[in-house]
Amino acid sequence: MSSREHSTRDMAGAPAQPVTAGVGRRPRLFRDIAWRGQLILLLLPFLAGIVLLVFLPALIGLPLAFTSYNSLDPPEFTGLRNFRDLWNDRIFHLSLRNTLGFIAVAVPLRLLGALAIALLLARRVRGVGSMRAAVVLPTVVPDIAWALAWLWIFNPIYGPLNILLRTIGIEGPAWMLDENGARFAIILMMSWQFGEGFVICLGALSDIPSEIVDQARVDGAGRWEQFRSITLPCIAPYLLVLVVRDTLFSLHANFVPAKILGQEGGPNYATTYLPMWIYTNAFSYLRLGYAAAMTWVTFLFTFAIVMSTWLVLSRRFGRWGP
Amino acid sequence: MTRRTWTTGFRVTLGLVVAVTMVMPLVWMVTTSLREPGSVPPRRLEWIPDPVVWSNYRDVFDALPFATMAANSVIVTAIAVPLSVLCASWGGFAMSQLVPSTRRWLVALALVAAMIPTTATWVTRFVLFSQANLIDTWWPLILPALMGTSPLFALVYLWSFAGIPRDIFDAARLDGTSAFRTWATIAFPLVRPTTIAVTMLTFTMHWNNFTEPLIYIQSLDRQTLPFALSALFQLAPTDWPMLMAAAVMLTVPAVVVFLIGQRSFIESARGEGWLGN
Repeated sequence: MSSREHSTRDMAGAPAQPVTAGVGRRPRLFRDIAWRGQLILLLLPFLAGIVLLVFLPALIGLPLAFTSYNSLDPPEFTGLRNFRDLWNDRIFHLSLRNTLGFIAVAVPLRLLGALAIALLLARRVRGVGSMRAAVVLPTVVPDIAWALAWLWIFNPIYGPLNILLRTIGIEGPAWMLDENGARFAIILMMSWQFGEGFVICLGALSDIPSEIVDQARVDGAGRWEQFRSITLPCIAPYLLVLVVRDTLFSLHANFVPAKILGQEGGPNYATTYLPMWIYTNAFSYLRLGYAAAMTWVTFLFTFAIVMSTWLVLSRRFGRWGP
Repeated sequence: MTRRTWTTGFRVTLGLVVAVTMVMPLVWMVTTSLREPGSVPPRRLEWIPDPVVWSNYRDVFDALPFATMAANSVIVTAIAVPLSVLCASWGGFAMSQLVPSTRRWLVALALVAAMIPTTATWVTRFVLFSQANLIDTWWPLILPALMGTSPLFALVYLWSFAGIPRDIFDAARLDGTSAFRTWATIAFPLVRPTTIAVTMLTFTMHWNNFTEPLIYIQSLDRQTLPFALSALFQLAPTDWPMLMAAAVMLTVPAVVVFLIGQRSFIESARGEGWLGN
């Protein structure tokens, strides 16, 4: 009986509030302290993980960026030299431009694809489960296997893609042998892998209250009207999160395609995106200090892109909001 | 009525076209893996090679220690996936039970951690791991499991646990049940769909992981399976049947786990799955 009393009292206030009950005060206090201690123990692995593997590396990068370090000899302080070198590094500039171009095309493409196909497969019809599974399937394929398969698909002469194009009378481009062809090829192969966005759009769509949709239909709203004034405002917050997430994803996910399809970022550095150039400097040239400087610039660059995307889109979505 | 049937028919047809387009690259991966090695590449689309040759799959094992690397992958994944699920659900459970002010801080911390791209930590993780003498061991591949592989999974668990009525946990606490027991006997069994989804996603992340083994592991006999593909590509860059055979063997486990787990999150009814609430 007394336990029931406690529980109702406790539900009213937050568990951390000072205990005021007179009866059984000490054991209860001990119990709450013990409970919090146990919670912190449970939290510990997770906290240790993010501190040791994310925050600590991110912070150490800053002092490292001011040194010359090859991982064998101790790091040597060189002041701002790495940043001066970056300023003059033609390929670094190119990799920034490549990355920006990639984000500008790939992110909207992947998102529109995810949304359009989620709209198409939102309704429950026969076989929709298998179709949804087929759409997500490319996303779970290992990057390296996916990249190798596409390197074959993009083969200018024997590749299935150009053969397919030839049967409908189009002579396909030389893909990975051509600078713009290579850039487009990597965007194309990665625009198959939008499973995450698709699943999130599908979830967002299924959360739209059907009463509102029915009401709109009764009021005579057309399909487009329904989409614009009900569907879009309802899923806008999800789309906003997806844009940010996909932008972050795009900043590093093109490493494997650039390495395999572009054979280390080629042809002629056309697919040398930021991760590729950081990797090359750090692990091929063993210029770890320089790579750390580049990482920090990338970091600020990421932050700027994400913040501006967020600001622009949240203002726009704000107008659509309820 | 007829108009409705017609639009449904259109939807289904278009859905089929999309589905076929999506899996087409995988179909080509499989058909190419069955071609006779060294034969003239096709000039027309070829659905079933003539003759169908299975020897490419065996050749992969002769070209490099593929079996060892597969075993390494299995071991690393078998350690890292359960550890990820444990740490993510512990973290999520603790966050869901701590006071709101602490929780807000932890959520912000996890979100910031999730925002930092892995690329940004390559160089310094490498420096830290080499200082700790962990380069060329499996530690750099397994340790990220401490944070649930991606910090987002702890947040996914937090949201799932937050959906469970608080009084259940309060009652357990007042009965003197420890936090760990409450997690093990009440909280964790109640969020099965989340666990299935997180298991599936962390499996995919660890099984598919190519970049981290590439950076942190040097000896071939300690490498994991994705690296085998890139090594094979260096050895025989034009032997497409063999390369695709290796790609198929790497892809099959990822696809199987996905197909087993997918029902829980793609087909979950509204409000039930991890994306439902």
